[in-house]
Amino acid sequence: MYSLSGRTAIAGIGATEFSKESGRSELQLAAEAVFAAVDDAGLSPAEVDGLVTFTQDANQEIAVAREVGIGDLTFFSRVEYGGGAACGTVLHAAMAVATGAASTVVCYRAFNERSGRRFGQPDPRLGGQPSSQGVEMSWHVPYGLMTPAGWVAMFARRYMHAFGATSEDFGRVAVAMRRHAATNPAAWFHGRPITLEEHQRSRWIVEPLHLLDCCQESDGAVALVVTSADRARHLRRSPAVVTAAAQGAGRGQMMMTSFYRDDMSGLPEMGVVASALWSMSGLSPKDIQTAILYDHFTPFVLSQLEELGFCGRGEAKDFVADGGIEIDGRLPVNPHGGQLGEAYIHGMNGITEAVRQIRGTAVNQVAGVRNVLVTAGTGVPTSGLVLSRE
Amino acid sequence: MRTPTEQETRAGAALPELRIELTPTTVVSTALATMDFTPVHHDVEKATAQGSKDIFLNILTTMGLVERYVTDWAGPDALVRGINVRLGVPAYAGDALILGGRVAGREGDEVTVEVRGTVSLGDHVTGTVRLLLPR
Amino acid sequence: MTTTAESGVHQRLADLAERQIAAGEVRGAPAADPVNLPMIRHWAAAMGDANPVYTDEEFAAGSAHGAIVAPPAMIQVWTMAGLDGGDTVGPVAVMLAALDESGFTGVVATNCEQTYHRYLRLGERPVAATRMSGLSGPKTTALGVGYFVTWVVTWYSDDEPVAEMMFRVLKFRPVERNPEPAKHDPYPLAPAVNRDTAFFWEGARQGELRIQKCGDCGEPRHPPGPVCPTCRSLNRTYTLAAGVGEVYSYVVHHNPPVPGREIPFVVAVIALPEGVRIVGNIVECAAEKVGIGMPVRVVYREMDDELILPMWIPRES
Repeated sequence: MYSLSGRTAIAGIGATEFSKESGRSELQLAAEAVFAAVDDAGLSPAEVDGLVTFTQDANQEIAVAREVGIGDLTFFSRVEYGGGAACGTVLHAAMAVATGAASTVVCYRAFNERSGRRFGQPDPRLGGQPSSQGVEMSWHVPYGLMTPAGWVAMFARRYMHAFGATSEDFGRVAVAMRRHAATNPAAWFHGRPITLEEHQRSRWIVEPLHLLDCCQESDGAVALVVTSADRARHLRRSPAVVTAAAQGAGRGQMMMTSFYRDDMSGLPEMGVVASALWSMSGLSPKDIQTAILYDHFTPFVLSQLEELGFCGRGEAKDFVADGGIEIDGRLPVNPHGGQLGEAYIHGMNGITEAVRQIRGTAVNQVAGVRNVLVTAGTGVPTSGLVLSRE
Repeated sequence: MRTPTEQETRAGAALPELRIELTPTTVVSTALATMDFTPVHHDVEKATAQGSKDIFLNILTTMGLVERYVTDWAGPDALVRGINVRLGVPAYAGDALILGGRVAGREGDEVTVEVRGTVSLGDHVTGTVRLLLPR
Repeated sequence: MTTTAESGVHQRLADLAERQIAAGEVRGAPAADPVNLPMIRHWAAAMGDANPVYTDEEFAAGSAHGAIVAPPAMIQVWTMAGLDGGDTVGPVAVMLAALDESGFTGVVATNCEQTYHRYLRLGERPVAATRMSGLSGPKTTALGVGYFVTWVVTWYSDDEPVAEMMFRVLKFRPVERNPEPAKHDPYPLAPAVNRDTAFFWEGARQGELRIQKCGDCGEPRHPPGPVCPTCRSLNRTYTLAAGVGEVYSYVVHHNPPVPGREIPFVVAVIALPEGVRIVGNIVECAAEKVGIGMPVRVVYREMDDELILPMWIPRES
């Protein structure tokens, strides 16, 4: 059977600074990130013939193309489901390159998520439209269950009940991310580590989630250049080969509110992604030196460790104990500090970190990196990648 | 009042939390002591007519309480050099203001203290106070 | 949406701001009273500030100050207008008045930065000098559309600057809303209802908890949908649930505030004996009493003239 594995690579990465108020339009942010990624690859924008972004992105592909001087586009697509789209953009780009639909595809995500529309704020319009999603939200919004923290908290409580996990177990994830961010100058929380006590003392957002269980909100943009692995070998950066890429949705899936499925203590959609990644790559968890796990809220980092097979069901609390996911732990997770520590760019900044780890140029470099696993938004239909060094 | 130890003024050190009950008397007496006679700080009817839940603290008082919170900790010999705050949700009568802080940085004798004052609606005030500690 | 009239307003405000900023620093009258012990004492008592350098002559004499000093944060107090009303002709006052006239009547302070060059002593009589430094907007905020106005005040004692303040306010066009919705105001979190879900909300209005059931294979389903996922049947019917259940999971919402709700509030996933789960609020029960497995029973709450929501209260098991 034809496999996508090894056919394409990420050849360039770019980003703006990460801030709370960019002071510029989202389109300008997108353009700046695309320029940075194309420059990093040693290409010119005129060589780009494909663009992929998130359905939620406010910058149309053609608008970005006009700004940066991309000419003819032979491929453009959008990936749905909020932050679940992140690794999916690379999957779409890789499929386009592997099938010849395009030769050089840029994936981008740009927003003023802190200074513009904030995802963490309740929006009564969520349940206002009789679209399938509006009707789905209408089983929750009327009861005030309408923020991402609220939806995740509902799973977190059940997870605690099922496996005896505690708020401190969630806190260990936040402490690890902030430790990593403290030594990453690009991180918003650079130089600001936290202790478990500070996590426990931070105010409630939605019980059982404290403020420090929730990732920050950020302005910024990230872009990635995907091209064939053969071509990438002749460009200026060593390629981050796409060894596996997958999307996943589970049975009975909803957007953040899959409360009605058999089990609320896992993330079945991440299980779908995991089995696709392992089967496409031929690898297993022991082949991964560092993982970039989507961390908008701490509890789902634990569930992901389980769904991806790094530990058994309900064992993630032991896995994260004693610095298990810290830079010097058994599996360093998000050495850049993740979205809790670096910035919330809808998972795309995590992919750039994975590429830096493959290249050996990360600020918090993990030794001997050969394969990095990356995941996208949790609680929603999601996606994942395995990137490898040649 | 006491002067904090070297240990207590290191970067990262936390200040003890202070809880201030915002009785109507607190709101009114501080408004008048700061010469602020705007009705929303002492007249419940006028405050609710403009959409507020109740009378609420005025800004001069917020500044005063932040200063007091930090000098309570730093002692009478510390010199306050500046206060820089972002103002958030109103602090209504009947609520409680909980002040917390930590030493954000220290250069020689000058320390910067991060302060956060929360009420039940969320952050009322967040910011920093710069102080010169006695040698 | 920006209309021609709106951009005319913006141009007028921007022009005025430019003139007010160009006007530079304007000095006010000296403080009505010199820095004095009684006002310091009232202030310290109201703030609960026990620092002896403000009120205790003997202690102050032995301190670094050598004599009683005023609390730095009192700087603005000395030059407050008091009951006589405030400035109406200064550059900032004119700007704020123009914003009022353009409908930006709401005001909320957003930033205050004070720098103290030295502490004031008894007898000094500071003068405040104000200059406007910026106008930005229009910006859409949670409170409504508005402009940020920034100004700088410098306090002089004789001609020596002793303190400065940067102050920023948001002048906004208030959005019409009531913090405590009256009984007949529409509930802001009304559900979207379509042909597939209308039966449920109609049931709630009649005090019934209707759970969809396939008319052919009998499979119960919540949330409902147009097609039975088990047998493809479009023959939908519903069953009346007994109205009891158990808490399967729950959260306590504290932040941020939610329109139409008082915080904190509890939302739970309830497992029904009919074989489905449903989300709803737990009411008439302290949040700390709620737990997984807690038996509950349904109640119906009128949210406005149209909407009744099923909610849940504790039940003796």
